[in-house]
Amino acid sequence: MSDNRQPLLKVRDLKVTFGKGRHAVSAVAGVSFDIFPGETLGLVGESGCGKSTTGKALMRIIEPSSGSIELEGTSLIGQKGRTLRNLRTHMQMIFQDPISSLNPRRRVKDIVAEPLDCWKSVTGNERDVLVSDLLSKVGIDPKVYGNRYARQFSGGQCQRISIARSLAMRPKLLICDEMVSALDVSVQAQILNLLEDLKDEYGLTLLFIAHDLAVVKNVSDRVAVMYLGKICEIGPSDALYEAPAHPYTKFLLGAALEADPDSPMHNQVLEGEPPSPLNPPSGCRFRTRCPNATEKCANEEPLPQEVAVGHQVSCHFPLTIKQK
Amino acid sequence: MSNAILIEQASIVEKPEKKAPLGPLFWICVGWIALNFLGAIFANVLPLQNPLYQDYASINAGPSLHHLFGTDDIGRDIFARIVFGSRVSIAVGFGAMVIGFGIGTPLGMLAAYRRGRFDTFMTAFMYILLAFPAIIATIAVLSFWTPRSLLKIIIVIGLASVPLVYRVIRTAALAVSTKDYIIAAKVQGATDRRILLKELLPNIAPIGVSFLLIGVATVIALEGTLAFLGLSVSPPTPSWGNMINESRTVLQDNPWLAIFPSLALCLFLLSLNFIGDRLRNHFDVTEVKL
Amino acid sequence: MSDLSHELLVVEDLSTTFNTMGGPLPAVANVSFTLARNETIGIVGESGSGKTVLSRTIMGLQPRTNVSVTGSVLLNGNQMVGASESFKRGLWGTEVAMVFQDPMTSLNPVMRVGKQIDESLRVRLGMSKQDAKARAIELLELVGIPSPAHRYMAYPGQLSGGMRQRVVIAIALAGSPKLLMADEPTTGLDVTIQAQILNLLDELKDRLKMSVVLVTHDLGVVATRTSRIAVMYAGRIVETGSTRDVFTNHRMPYTRALLDSSPKVANASHTRLVTIPGRPPNLLQLSAGCSFAPRCSFATDKCHQERPELQAADEPGHAFACWNPLPTQTEPAPHER
Repeated sequence: MSDNRQPLLKVRDLKVTFGKGRHAVSAVAGVSFDIFPGETLGLVGESGCGKSTTGKALMRIIEPSSGSIELEGTSLIGQKGRTLRNLRTHMQMIFQDPISSLNPRRRVKDIVAEPLDCWKSVTGNERDVLVSDLLSKVGIDPKVYGNRYARQFSGGQCQRISIARSLAMRPKLLICDEMVSALDVSVQAQILNLLEDLKDEYGLTLLFIAHDLAVVKNVSDRVAVMYLGKICEIGPSDALYEAPAHPYTKFLLGAALEADPDSPMHNQVLEGEPPSPLNPPSGCRFRTRCPNATEKCANEEPLPQEVAVGHQVSCHFPLTIKQK
Repeated sequence: MSNAILIEQASIVEKPEKKAPLGPLFWICVGWIALNFLGAIFANVLPLQNPLYQDYASINAGPSLHHLFGTDDIGRDIFARIVFGSRVSIAVGFGAMVIGFGIGTPLGMLAAYRRGRFDTFMTAFMYILLAFPAIIATIAVLSFWTPRSLLKIIIVIGLASVPLVYRVIRTAALAVSTKDYIIAAKVQGATDRRILLKELLPNIAPIGVSFLLIGVATVIALEGTLAFLGLSVSPPTPSWGNMINESRTVLQDNPWLAIFPSLALCLFLLSLNFIGDRLRNHFDVTEVKL
Repeated sequence: MSDLSHELLVVEDLSTTFNTMGGPLPAVANVSFTLARNETIGIVGESGSGKTVLSRTIMGLQPRTNVSVTGSVLLNGNQMVGASESFKRGLWGTEVAMVFQDPMTSLNPVMRVGKQIDESLRVRLGMSKQDAKARAIELLELVGIPSPAHRYMAYPGQLSGGMRQRVVIAIALAGSPKLLMADEPTTGLDVTIQAQILNLLDELKDRLKMSVVLVTHDLGVVATRTSRIAVMYAGRIVETGSTRDVFTNHRMPYTRALLDSSPKVANASHTRLVTIPGRPPNLLQLSAGCSFAPRCSFATDKCHQERPELQAADEPGHAFACWNPLPTQTEPAPHER
């Protein structure tokens, strides 16, 4: 990256393979990116592209098969036991299903205090004050609702409580795994605004994983597009959306359903189905559905090349883009 | 931002927390069980006839003021024997379940949480044990492990129930351990022990408790079966099963010897089952059903 | 209203009330609309708006116990409300068919896909085994499944989400219905597959001269594929009209709020989203006034006290339920208090 800052998170050639031998499925097939402090990196792609798996591998919820993950210089791979648990406090995750993210039998304020209780870093009165403060910040009145059970809240409220819980240890990196996908549009808007406000206040860095292009663009500074376990394009959101360099990104944007009756209907639709990850195409993985594919695409896997400042694409024939 | 939050709070409508009502019958059953417990504990100090005293003057007598439930074929007071007999049933029922759950629950929870090799081996082992009819195993062991005592019976039945408890707990724990909040707890840095106790256990407790009560009922009935085969506590110690067994030979002359212990057994089991069922309904935290 | 005898579907004052532990729950209240032949209407609303209950009520799928349905649903002249099960069964598949959201639960996972299509052909239309199989393969081809003869033998689990949804559509079309009810047919599918399925529905609709009721929460889905839209909130239709009118000249503030709160690809990154404060009302405790009033920035006293009925707007076919509607616009007007 052409940046003088040190990345907060450095991921190099991350691979996650399930199963063995002939039945091995490479869900993530060599993914590399940096996330800089204070920025939001959006990770977008369709089902099966490996974006959720990447997020879980970063948190070591799923074990990476190979590659390196460095958080502020400390490697996250190979850590075990107490060291791993310690490192985990620097990275937190928010999940897709708000209801199953919270223990239905626990009270809200205990859930938010749980990280503090695990580490006994803050106790007694200070702990209670901190918990109340967190709940207020996410829009849940601690005096009225702090004692209620998690099962009594709606999806949007549960997601707020999850956010409060994840901020208790002041993590450096927050991974949001499809966190608004299960919410209604109006609730989604509230949660996204809340996230932006808290990001500023807590100095967070975000990895925002989602499949909704509009949501990702709204939240992210930079966006990475994944297809079948690989990143095909990564760059600043506005530039990437306005002038995508990778054909897949262009199709993805074309398929995005705009709430506008005048938007051009029947954009060139991406035909066919994504190939099975059990047997990915040789060379460029997108070539089986790409209208521009040539023999070179079948023989040689495209490596990331820079097409503009901070904008990289893995394609032999990137679509021409304006230089900004 | 604060204005928007205040408006949000004003319209937070809590989902109606309507737990399935326990009902008066539930409490009647609880009362009955409690009564039996108290009877068992305080049998010695209660104004009862001596359960072992053989009053040859009144053999196979019907119920009277002196003998509330009558006497058996060697003159012993049935009522006293039932109260003292409840000790056996309760001890066997709850004692065996304590052993069964004490061993089966941690194993089941660990297997469901850890998965991997521990789960594979333990589950295979337990399923093999389950395939073997527990009753036959119990009968076989008790036939050979003499002299019989209450403690031995409790241990044998208790161990025999471990595979089933393991299966039930493991299944319940599996459903819970895939939920995101377990992953969230791990990600916060909680130790496995903390997760098992604070996150997993409370969520499988309702199923566990209601299964425990039903298990107690089953074991008590099992004791009755063993008594029928002459494998329960040795006479003259009274137990409900023993008494029913003894009544076989004198059924025509003295139906009370069969009726009262059977009633006691039936009512106790029914109450336990009912309580177990109601508790499970009550603690079911799924949505208010339409 | 135009001459109703030409309309394929006439829904009049339809209400569905559930008998719950907490009291009567009016999931759908006083809904009326019509649908002509070869027309597509979009029913839009968030969760809790009653759109799914509405689609199921129109189909006649509500159970008889603990549910009370009043009003009238005339499907090609057949009254669905209060009709007997056997009567409704005669219509399902041949007059009207439904496509549900989750194809994995709409399909029997242990039965081959071809057999599931066969079943409806043989039971419904009384075809012989060979005829049914031939027609089933034809249908699989019609919905764009490659190598249909081969896929005929597949189990649902072996197909991708998009394929499964195509199979569900094939089953729905087996009896050549005149009306297709599609309840969130593409939610949960990938964006590129969504586009494929929606294009397929468009194509089939024209080819088979069907009408479609498209129920969804996603405004993007209805924007270019419907001629008319009805917006639902708390069980009622709060605005209805031609798609263009509802999108560009909406009068009901909820419609505006809904359109504004979805993030748009065209907006720059980090655009602050307009939110609707608060949450949808508890249907067990509805007030006498407009259900949206507690959250509406334009609400007046009258709005809180009296429920507005649908009133006609300037354009034909455009109606809204609001005491304090947004001004008619030829170009977008700013929010004003």
